[in-house]
Amino acid sequence: MQNTNSGLVHFKSGFKNFKRWETVLAFILLFEFTIFSLASDKFTFSRMLLSINDIISILIISLFVTFVMVTGGIDIQAGSIVGLTSIIIGVAWQDAGMNIWGAVIVAVIVAALCGALSGFFVSYCGVQPMVVTLGGSFLYAGIALLISRASATESYKGISGFPESFTKISSFKLFDVIPNQLIIFLVLIVICYFLLHKTKYGRRVFLVGVNQRAAEFSGINSRLITLSTYVLSGIGASIAGIVLTAYLGTAKSDLGITFTLPIITAVVLGGTLSTGGKGSIMGTALAALVIGILRFGLPLSFGISTQYLDIPVGILLLTVIIGRSLAGNPRASMLFNKFFSKQKEAN
Amino acid sequence: MITLKKIFKMREISSLLFLIILFGGVGLVNPSFLSATSLVNCLNDSVVFTLLACGIAFAIFTGEIDVSIGATLGLSAAVASTLLRNGSSWVTALIVAILIGTIIGLFNGWGVAYLGIPSLIFTLGTNGIVRGFIYVYTHGAWVENLPAWFTNLSHAKLIGNLTIYIAIVLVFVIFCNIILTRTRKGRYFIAVGDNASGATLVGIPTVKTKILAYVICGILAAIAGIVYSSRIGFITPTAGSGYEMRAIAACVLGGISLSGGLGSLAGATIGAIIMSSVGRILVFLGFSSDYDNTITGVLLITIVVVDALAQNRTATKNHRQRLIARTAMAAPKKGDEK
Repeated sequence: MQNTNSGLVHFKSGFKNFKRWETVLAFILLFEFTIFSLASDKFTFSRMLLSINDIISILIISLFVTFVMVTGGIDIQAGSIVGLTSIIIGVAWQDAGMNIWGAVIVAVIVAALCGALSGFFVSYCGVQPMVVTLGGSFLYAGIALLISRASATESYKGISGFPESFTKISSFKLFDVIPNQLIIFLVLIVICYFLLHKTKYGRRVFLVGVNQRAAEFSGINSRLITLSTYVLSGIGASIAGIVLTAYLGTAKSDLGITFTLPIITAVVLGGTLSTGGKGSIMGTALAALVIGILRFGLPLSFGISTQYLDIPVGILLLTVIIGRSLAGNPRASMLFNKFFSKQKEAN
Repeated sequence: MITLKKIFKMREISSLLFLIILFGGVGLVNPSFLSATSLVNCLNDSVVFTLLACGIAFAIFTGEIDVSIGATLGLSAAVASTLLRNGSSWVTALIVAILIGTIIGLFNGWGVAYLGIPSLIFTLGTNGIVRGFIYVYTHGAWVENLPAWFTNLSHAKLIGNLTIYIAIVLVFVIFCNIILTRTRKGRYFIAVGDNASGATLVGIPTVKTKILAYVICGILAAIAGIVYSSRIGFITPTAGSGYEMRAIAACVLGGISLSGGLGSLAGATIGAIIMSSVGRILVFLGFSSDYDNTITGVLLITIVVVDALAQNRTATKNHRQRLIARTAMAAPKKGDEK
């Protein structure tokens, strides 16, 4: 009796651990790895490292968008800031004759300003974040297009011929194996993790998401905090833009237009509440990897055309959120508890 | 006087004024823009966005959002055009399109209203799945060679330069607007969006209303798909992607609040007209169409920020008045002592 009871308790605490969303995501990730590598021997780690460029932008941006969504906002302009960064680097370097690193710094500053502008409208004018960033996505994509028209190079070709020191951002490999992008991603995870979970700033971000009024009463400048999250997401998008431009070797204004939905999917799948107040960097990073590996493994191991990949990603998103909403449902958890108490009685 | 005040309080009036000022301003620069033909053409061009915006307006009225309408438009356009190309009658194509819209709408409604999942996230998932289905259905190829009568239908005129499509759509919008504002069931949509728990308390079937809103949204997007294929003449697998954002933008321009419970279909139509005339206006002003996105973004941000600031001001004013009233009540009046 004693034994079975302790076993049950152990199982229950194990289940509590399992309930942690990051653990579930890690299991999904492991599951994907097993399935894909069983299905085909083409699915190898080294091959995956090679194709990291397809997903690196989404991996990077979703980390930073997590900040915005933790405060209860949403950012759908990040995708268009990627293109803006890219074209600014190109034009500043080629047409304005700037040093490539100077151009990169200008691009990051402009991206941060774009984020600040949207953040200002959200926090100080009280406009819904969805609307502002929707307008921002039009505006910044439009500005990127206009800048590309100002260049001597025709915009559909894109600006290319960057110096090697710049393209090395994406071609450099540590020990000839680990691509630099992965290192950047890992470093950014660490930075974001500490910023959101270990600093005063991060705790303020959470408090603004849980209850803005309470945050305001406890002396937090909640408006400034909200604004700063949009600046962060702008900077994140610009980093993604730099990495992507360096990888492609061309600066184009329409990079990243299609990123919006995958980014939001990654953040939400990572366990961030869209109403704010809950979320984690590790969850987002794992979820982005889950999506990335799904998009990478399905064509490789099962020969599914890349055009169809929206379906499994969509189904994954829907299954997960339906499952979580059922798990959070008091009726469902009551049934669950009943089931376990019956088991206990039987014992 | 009271009616005049009432009219100015209506949010779509500010959008209408904005439309008039915008068109008037363009007319000052280039008077040929204000000719009847050009104005009617603006109206004709807005038909797809009017349908989409009015559809999504129903979802927004109830306080939700639907970002799957672009994919719905694409799927219905691909399926209906394939049917028409293979010799089906327009009735079959229309029924199939409506069926597609209904199924997608029911699915969205089930997830959002019944399961209570945040609408943006749920419809985002639907968007991916439906978009994928377009590729599965068309194998990534374009649907071309639509029958001539079908593509000619988009040029068919009713009176003067007014196409049959926009005439039907406008009549439909007016009809729906009357239902929304004048009938008991129609007002449910706004009531649910304004205060969902309050609506439940007074006996409004909140879940059913939300599901119905999504079904209407899906059906209108599907019909927009048919109109789209008739106007464009070929369907790519990416048809309609990004249209959901433009439709939401049209609603916002038309004075519909994204938090629900505020706005009208007339506003959505005005927003759609502004949205779809941006390109034409640029041509008349002598700019290249490169400015399209920039202008759209600036318009959208300006109108929402101005609107939000105005609302904040009235809110603080009301708050102050309430406070004054309260202190006046609390202070003992001189007459009371006697």
